[in-house]
Amino acid sequence: MQTLILIVTLLVMMGVLALIMRAVLATEGPEPSANAPKTRSKVIWSMVVLGLVVSVTSLREWPHTQAGGDALVVNIESGQWWWDTDTTEIPLGQQVEFRVTTEDVNQGLGIYNSDMQLLVQVQAMPSYTNKVVYTFEEPGTYQILCMEFCGIAHHAMTYEFDVVEAGA
Amino acid sequence: MSTIDISQPAKGDGLIKLTMLLGGVVFLLMMVFGLVMRAQQGGWLDLDPALFYQLLTAHGAGMVGSAALSGAAILWYFTGRHVPLRSGIYLAFLGLFLLGVVLILGAIFVGGYGGAWTFLFPLPALSGGAWEAWAAIGFILGYLFIGVGFLLFYLEIGIQLVKRYGGLLKALGWHYLFGGSAEDVPPPTLIAAASVLVFNTIGIVFGAAVIAASIINLIWPDFAVDPLFAKNAIYFFGHVFINATIYMAITAVYEIVPTYTGRPWKTTRLFVGAWFAVVIFVQAVYFHHLLQDVNIPAWALAVGQIVSYASGVPLIGVTMFSLALYLKGSGLKWDLPASLLVLGVVGWSIGVIPAIIDGMIAVNKLMHNTQWVPGHFHTYLLLGEVAMAFGFAAWLVRDKAQTAMSALDKLVFRAYVGGGAGFALIFLWSGASSIPRRWAVHYEAWQFQSQLATVFACVVVLATLGLVLRYVRGLLRSA
Ligand code: HEM
Ligand SMILES: [Cu+2]
Repeated sequence: MQTLILIVTLLVMMGVLALIMRAVLATEGPEPSANAPKTRSKVIWSMVVLGLVVSVTSLREWPHTQAGGDALVVNIESGQWWWDTDTTEIPLGQQVEFRVTTEDVNQGLGIYNSDMQLLVQVQAMPSYTNKVVYTFEEPGTYQILCMEFCGIAHHAMTYEFDVVEAGA
Repeated sequence: MSTIDISQPAKGDGLIKLTMLLGGVVFLLMMVFGLVMRAQQGGWLDLDPALFYQLLTAHGAGMVGSAALSGAAILWYFTGRHVPLRSGIYLAFLGLFLLGVVLILGAIFVGGYGGAWTFLFPLPALSGGAWEAWAAIGFILGYLFIGVGFLLFYLEIGIQLVKRYGGLLKALGWHYLFGGSAEDVPPPTLIAAASVLVFNTIGIVFGAAVIAASIINLIWPDFAVDPLFAKNAIYFFGHVFINATIYMAITAVYEIVPTYTGRPWKTTRLFVGAWFAVVIFVQAVYFHHLLQDVNIPAWALAVGQIVSYASGVPLIGVTMFSLALYLKGSGLKWDLPASLLVLGVVGWSIGVIPAIIDGMIAVNKLMHNTQWVPGHFHTYLLLGEVAMAFGFAAWLVRDKAQTAMSALDKLVFRAYVGGGAGFALIFLWSGASSIPRRWAVHYEAWQFQSQLATVFACVVVLATLGLVLRYVRGLLRSA
């Protein structure tokens, strides 16, 4: 997923770059055509339309998944500089609702797979409970990394849990 | 519209030149801090994490501060060409700013404060032994002095604009937008000045509120602040403040590029409309910093995503597009100032793309607080605001006898662009590789990217050294 995001981003950046470079490299060429203001309106309106389409398609299904009735609740507590969970074994294919809290400063719960790819994250904030819902599709060892700067041992604030096949 | 010869020297220019020197030197020094951090992440250094986080804090605050300072100098310089501004106020601003800098540096390097430039409550009070409360108070007081300096700065611009146009709304050009006459509409620089002063004053006031609350909390820990409210306030302030730096610096493009193209930058309805949108968007967009705070109302998150996108429209559709039209077929002769100023707009326009994409809630789930984030802001700061600032500085001390780019200028410019682009793109790549930001120590699998970035960073540092030296030489020549 991240690779796709990177590629799309680079393509759009190149598109915008091309748009301006055409003018930058044409200072010695002919003046802008009389149509330029029309082209500009077209650019602006296409950006608006594209924005509407992207907004509707990406928000219609709310990106923060809500837990279903049979979700397994896992509490995650944290603090400077540790994580702790109810369980270190999570059943495969089971929807999990993580309820994340911190006892001192802000933390960021980032769940990584064994390839060190970030799968999902949520903020942890003192005096609040933050929920994030995820269903693991692969068995194996997962890691929690801290995503919010929380002091001098921020980078050492990690934790491990396993995703196991039911009945295993 | 009045035609003003911006090259006529004016009283107070010396202060602006001094400011640009200060800004340039601090940019350079902070880049060296950045280089050290990236080398540390690459495993080439073995710093104490406490020192890394101090450098991170200094780099963040120092860079944002220098961007603000250079942007303010540019805005003051050009606003002062259209309405009278009192140099005494600028001097007070500069004095307060420097006092703030001294406090911030002292807090970091004497007091050991390392809570980052956008500190989240209650981290300043809970350092786990890394720094004492007084260091955090010193750091925060430093912000307060800088904030007060800026309030004075904007107050003076506001007073003079109101005097000249008979009201802030008129200086914003909003009457023209809503069907009023085109008579006596302010020039682009003043519209920018009025707009920035409106949103940045609001931003600073929110910043001051969270600052005051944090100081009270540091002195009486029982005084609790709601952490979610504090995060809203600090990001509202931080977002508005860093954006204001570019929106101030862009006036250099409005004023200087026409001296090359012979085509004055005009106040059109579209231009005023774009700035109207900016005033709203800049304030509404900060929710994109809280997309993983699922406790804020869903509508706020949706606003964060949608306004992030919308912010790109005036930038790309108006600012960048106008620049393209002004450039095309203008016969402009490229020299270093012109190249850097145009680079500033290009870097800004493409740098917001990864920001907008990260502003989507679904993408943010995977990119928030990874190095994707420094990836986008280094693009529009390093290749945006800072390029504009060095472009303005180079223009201030330009040698009127020299009309083309010397071989050395070309080398410096290419190194800056190439090094900067490579450096920023690697951050994006690292973000896409799920590497978190603000980590003092990187896993081995991540180190190659940091090492490569360090090499690019060296190129940027050398190019910037070239820009600073060239500016100093120009100052000496013109003195
Ligand atoms: C040679 C040039 C530069 C280098 C090598 C550099 C390096 C870095 C590094 C390594 C980080 C930390 C990344 C992380 O979170 O893992 C960083 C963060 C940052 N940089 Fe730079 N940087 C450079 C230029 C700039 C410029 C020109 C600006 C702004 C004008 C800037 C503003 C910032 C800010 C605001 C942060 C965030 C600090 C934080 O997370 O608290 N940098 N930079
Ligand atoms: Cu942390």
